Amino acid sequence: MIIKIENLVKRYGSLVALDHLNLEVKEGEIFGLLGPNGSGKTTAINCMLALLKYDRGSIRIFGEEMAPDNYRVKSQIGVVMQDVAVFEELNVQDNIDYFCGLYVKDKNKRKELVEEAVRFVGLEEYRKIYPKKLSGGLLRRLNIACGIAHKPRLIFMDEPTVAVDPQSRNKILEGICELNRQGSTIVYTSHYMEEVEQICSRIAIMDHGRCIALGTSEELKNMIKTGETVTIEAVILEEEDLARIRELPHVFDVSYKDGTLTVRCTGARHNLLRILEYLQSRKIPFGRVFSELPTLNDVFLEITGKQLRD
Amino acid sequence: MLQQLKYAFVVKIRNFSIVFWPLLFPLALTTLMYFSVGQMDESDFDTIDTAVVYEEVQDRGNAENAVTAQKSGNDRFLQYLTAVEEDSDLIRVRQMEDEEAVKALEEKEVRGIYYIKGEDLSLTVSENSLSSSILESLLTGYEEGRQTLENVMKYHPEGLDEAVKMLGEYGTAVEYVSLGGNTTDTTAQFFYAMIGMACLYGCFIGFGCALWLQCNLTALAARRCVAPVHRLRVILTEFAAGFGIHFVNVMILLAYMKYILRLEFAGSYLSMVPVAFIGGMFGVAMGIFVGSIGKMGEGIKIGILIGVSMLLSFLAGLMNPQIKVWVDQSIPVLNRINPAAVISDALYCINVFDSPERLGQDMIILTAMCILMVAGAFLIVRRERYDSI
Repeated sequence: MIIKIENLVKRYGSLVALDHLNLEVKEGEIFGLLGPNGSGKTTAINCMLALLKYDRGSIRIFGEEMAPDNYRVKSQIGVVMQDVAVFEELNVQDNIDYFCGLYVKDKNKRKELVEEAVRFVGLEEYRKIYPKKLSGGLLRRLNIACGIAHKPRLIFMDEPTVAVDPQSRNKILEGICELNRQGSTIVYTSHYMEEVEQICSRIAIMDHGRCIALGTSEELKNMIKTGETVTIEAVILEEEDLARIRELPHVFDVSYKDGTLTVRCTGARHNLLRILEYLQSRKIPFGRVFSELPTLNDVFLEITGKQLRD
Repeated sequence: MLQQLKYAFVVKIRNFSIVFWPLLFPLALTTLMYFSVGQMDESDFDTIDTAVVYEEVQDRGNAENAVTAQKSGNDRFLQYLTAVEEDSDLIRVRQMEDEEAVKALEEKEVRGIYYIKGEDLSLTVSENSLSSSILESLLTGYEEGRQTLENVMKYHPEGLDEAVKMLGEYGTAVEYVSLGGNTTDTTAQFFYAMIGMACLYGCFIGFGCALWLQCNLTALAARRCVAPVHRLRVILTEFAAGFGIHFVNVMILLAYMKYILRLEFAGSYLSMVPVAFIGGMFGVAMGIFVGSIGKMGEGIKIGILIGVSMLLSFLAGLMNPQIKVWVDQSIPVLNRINPAAVISDALYCINVFDSPERLGQDMIILTAMCILMVAGAFLIVRRERYDSI
């Protein structure tokens, strides 16, 4: 295990930010921490980085107790903060050189690493540009370059794609996968389930400071009843129709709101067909029809009773 | 370390607000002080009203003949006083009768009465004061000059004209002088306190350094806190960069005083540089220390720094030199631990007292306080974790 967190408790006054959190991160994986805002993801990261005090529990990284003066562990870590943390007074190249210099003393080696980082995040044309003149997406890329230029063994990325345009987001996600391929273990926090699902090998879903589910994307989806969600728009139904639909095989949840019918079914075949057959038999007209496989949002919804993005 | 130092310098120099206030505020205040305090010194000086009484004239009961009497040998003193009156605002001479003069002295219309009786001259004053000292000095100066002229006339009569001419070219009649032999000047005390304040203003640069040490204050600080760089090294790097910039600030202030305002201190400007060096170092160290203590927000800490630096400068005599004198007499230890007062005192040692021992003490006190501040900052942030970020 590259990270081992046991019974971590962190309180802000009466608010419990981390509630007996237990996590293990294996070397070589992209470990996703997924949860809504305020679920404790960033607090967990800051505790792991020895920035925050915590009330109980232990954090071991590379087998060592993490502490503010554990420079040996710190030297193997890269951090991409949630808030962009670069010097406004230094240009792109100098910012990367500065942060790389905190880890790498050799000037020539540093020069190579900086060059590599600039190319990695696609900021070749912006070397001499100051952060103020960069767009949000480019700034995020610079933030990442500053965190990974020294090629760390373990990288913490705290919501690196917040407020980023789709092009930059794809570039960033590709970059993260590439870093992982190059050997870095990555702890990635986000409240965008699609991102986490796309890149993470294992995912911990957090809510109210607790890890409520842990596993691969498939494992998490298999934990829940939902196998398929059928949505039908512009349909007018009576209570009797809803009762009949609820009685269809494999259907376990039916909701009807503003002319939109949402039917959640267990993982079985022909769910959509059976629902449409019923509507046709009753000569009920309907609009667009969607059938979706379960998402991490469904996992979160089924476990907590609320949407991930609430 | 050098790479970090280079970037620390670059970041600070390019950060306008960091350099701006510690440089500009003392310059602006010095300029204002130059125009207000400098002129105040001149305008507040009261010309000393002085009475001259001819006792011989009074003996004849005819004061109106005083003009005639001026032509006699003992009127040379009156000519001397008149020359002083014309050449400076030091005294204002009025001829009076004895009774009138005594009454004027009692009512403080005049500060002293010169009695002229033949070759004998005397002075009557009502109190010991600066005015009485000046009047006494004038009399003594005249007596000494007359003695000189008599000697010249007796032994070298051919040089009499030259001697008279030389004695006529008198300079300032009275100067306060210290034991070290240098002129004391109250205006200079303001500027010593001002240099002290400028040194302390390094605290704002130091505070800027501390902002990058505490991860609860900025994201950038948090990012730096997770780097594997020893905290002492980080503090010393920031301190060195901050001090380098601030020392230039103080040097600019000294150059401004010397070349633009043309302020003349008794000692050389060069000898004041070491004091500015240590003083500036202390200012930056103080800022780093205050920036490191507690979990207060940025605004509160800046408020503390402004308050502390102004209070220390006030006690060191920035607003009124008498405050420093009062503290010296009432709570002397306060002036020995007040860095602004110590800096001011060190400058005083250079320019006035000529006291290397005391200067050495001041430098040691400042250096010790500087080390304490940096060490304190290190101990605070060394293993610090925060309740919240």
